[in-house]
Amino acid sequence: MKLQNLSIKRKLMLITMLTSTVALLLFSASFLFYDLISFRHFLSQDLATQAEIIGYNSAAAMAFKDEAAASVTLTALKAKEDITAAILYTPDGKAFTRYVRANLVDPSLNGNQPRFEGIRFRDSHLEVVHAVSLNGEPVGTLFLQSDMSQWYSRAKRYAIFLLVFMLGSDLLALLIASKLQTLISGPILRLEDTMHMVSAQKNYEVRALKFYDDEIGRLIDGFNTMLSEIQQGDSALQSANDALKAQTLELESEILQRKQAQDELLSAKRTAEDASRAKSSFLANMSHELRTPLNAIIGYSEMIEEEIQDTGKFENVQDVKKIQSAGKHLLSLINDVLDLSKIEAGKMGLHLESFDVAQMVQEMVSTFQPTITKNSNTLQVNLAQDLGLMRADVTKVRQILFNLMSNACKFTNNGTVSLDVQRTTKGDREWLKFQVKDTGIGISAEQQKNLFKEFVQADASISRKYGGTGLGLAISYRFAQLMGGHFTAESEPGKGSTFTVHLPSKVSADVVEAVKAKENNGPLAEAPKPATQADTILVIDDDPAVRDLMFRHLVKSGFHVVVAADGEEGLKIAKRIQPRIITLDVLMPGIDGWEVLRRIKADPELAETPVIMVTIVDNEIMGLNLGSSNYVMKPVDRTLLTDLIEKHRKARPSSSSDVPVAV
Amino acid sequence: MSTILLVEDNEMNRDMLTRRLQKKGFNVLVATDGVQGHTFACAAIPDLILMDISLPEMNGWEVTRLLKSNQATRHIPIIALTAHALASDREKAFEAGCDDYDTKPLDFVRLMGKIETLLVVKKT
Repeated sequence: MKLQNLSIKRKLMLITMLTSTVALLLFSASFLFYDLISFRHFLSQDLATQAEIIGYNSAAAMAFKDEAAASVTLTALKAKEDITAAILYTPDGKAFTRYVRANLVDPSLNGNQPRFEGIRFRDSHLEVVHAVSLNGEPVGTLFLQSDMSQWYSRAKRYAIFLLVFMLGSDLLALLIASKLQTLISGPILRLEDTMHMVSAQKNYEVRALKFYDDEIGRLIDGFNTMLSEIQQGDSALQSANDALKAQTLELESEILQRKQAQDELLSAKRTAEDASRAKSSFLANMSHELRTPLNAIIGYSEMIEEEIQDTGKFENVQDVKKIQSAGKHLLSLINDVLDLSKIEAGKMGLHLESFDVAQMVQEMVSTFQPTITKNSNTLQVNLAQDLGLMRADVTKVRQILFNLMSNACKFTNNGTVSLDVQRTTKGDREWLKFQVKDTGIGISAEQQKNLFKEFVQADASISRKYGGTGLGLAISYRFAQLMGGHFTAESEPGKGSTFTVHLPSKVSADVVEAVKAKENNGPLAEAPKPATQADTILVIDDDPAVRDLMFRHLVKSGFHVVVAADGEEGLKIAKRIQPRIITLDVLMPGIDGWEVLRRIKADPELAETPVIMVTIVDNEIMGLNLGSSNYVMKPVDRTLLTDLIEKHRKARPSSSSDVPVAV
Repeated sequence: MSTILLVEDNEMNRDMLTRRLQKKGFNVLVATDGVQGHTFACAAIPDLILMDISLPEMNGWEVTRLLKSNQATRHIPIIALTAHALASDREKAFEAGCDDYDTKPLDFVRLMGKIETLLVVKKT
């Protein structure tokens, strides 16, 4: 137990007691000590006096050598308890007579006269040697010895007293100290308690009690000041914390909402995906399931027909043929319905490949023959020389053609069905134009309105008379749309009909998207171009001199001109302002003109914008192949440029290419 | 007399084709699933294989690939028969190694044309 770590109370009490004890002890000790010294002095004086008296009393006896008388005198000393021995010595130093206290044996007393005079202390005895004389004549020496018992008993008494006194006063000091130490320790202990309470309960409203205006009091003041500062800080913290909590709660609830929305979206998405998948799988399965039994019907009836031919029993041939034709009709119905379902479900894709147009048409002609001859019609096929290659979904093109041709044949009797195929340029793009003309019954204006709608044949009786599903035209129309083309029909009842399909010579996959968007607005909607960009020309050229030149020239010609210094910038601007015409320098840093051209053509928003290549490089074919509307060599012939621009401006009127049903 | 292996799981299709081919003078072997088709092809080494695509056990593409990667059977011409008419099916057929492809419902005359072409090519 280290003293330094004792409590203040104990320290204070210890200090007090120690101080008082030490003070008391010092005082008492010195006092008693002084007293005992005096007493000793007194005793020695006393013994000396006694020696004188006895010496005087025994002088006569000594002078007359009366041992008996001397002995009696000495024996009287019995009354004094502290006298241990009294010896009278003759002048020659021999012991004359003695008195020794009862039962005392001390060999040192048996000697001759001790050789000192006066008083001495020896072996805790007080000894006096006194010269005895009678009438001035020495008659001997008296030796007196006392054991100082009075002194010792006094000392003992003092010691006991001291002890008791010390104890008593210590106790009293303890009491007083313990009462008075609270003056110091009380406030401190209270402060300590307050501190504990504050830190345990985090309650900063509490204040420590100030008792006295001393150093501790000031300490308490300081403590209280600190507490109020903490309290302020703490309450500021609390309110900030509360605000934060409130915000967090808000955020949490918002997050929860978002999460919910997200979950809903996700589950909606999953539902949609599931539905889509279900649709696809349904279409695929139905396709298979429906065709398989039909295959059996048609196949077996063909086999029966063959066997009938072999056996020669021709009367049954007609019956079998009827089964066959019903089966085939059913099959084409199923095919049409499945096709339409696929288109409706958005699952009809395009498979693009390049093929020779003339060759494809020639191959198909043979398939038309049966239908032609059925109604005694004549077939005319006119193919232009420059048909070349087409990039499209060949199956769909065939289907469209077959549909148009079979319709023409179906509704014409003893007439002419002609198929014309041409290559044309509209705007800056190349198109294949397929036209099927017939001299048949024609279509009335009323009927023309419903021409491309599903399930509506011109007349309910027509389906009975002419067969067909009523779906063929609708499917052909959709196919043409999917490939970015358009359909027109013209007819005069009684005179005949003309169906024209325009298909891009290079069908691109993203046309499908653009077309779909248009579809939503309805086939007759036209997106008008805002007037501001009617005459904007975008000039892309890295040479500032050229840019300046073009700018001034074109502005003078009445156009609104925007310039760009490189391909990237040009593309960005083009997308933003949708200029009427773009002039494009081929040799540029960064992305060169060909790349810019390719990107323009690849962007559905810009693909139809005429692009004039301005360059020193002679590469017209590459330009045209990529879709450049034309091609001008530097140095720019101003008139040539302006003419070209005018030509393109006029060639492409301000309407989108879509399918109005012209009459 | 040439031997044709017909791998087709649909009973009616199998029946029709077998009879019509036999009438045309072919010796016809039949297998009813992909695994059987593969086994028979390896065992009998037919002159031509008509492979339906949607087969149980192993589909037609797989069987075709196996046969075309086997030294012993690589030379056998295979015509894929499929109910789907997607262009992607055509691509798949040629990718798997088919020599030709026809769609169901089968036009028997058209199919015969393809068979005869391939058998002639094979002979030369």
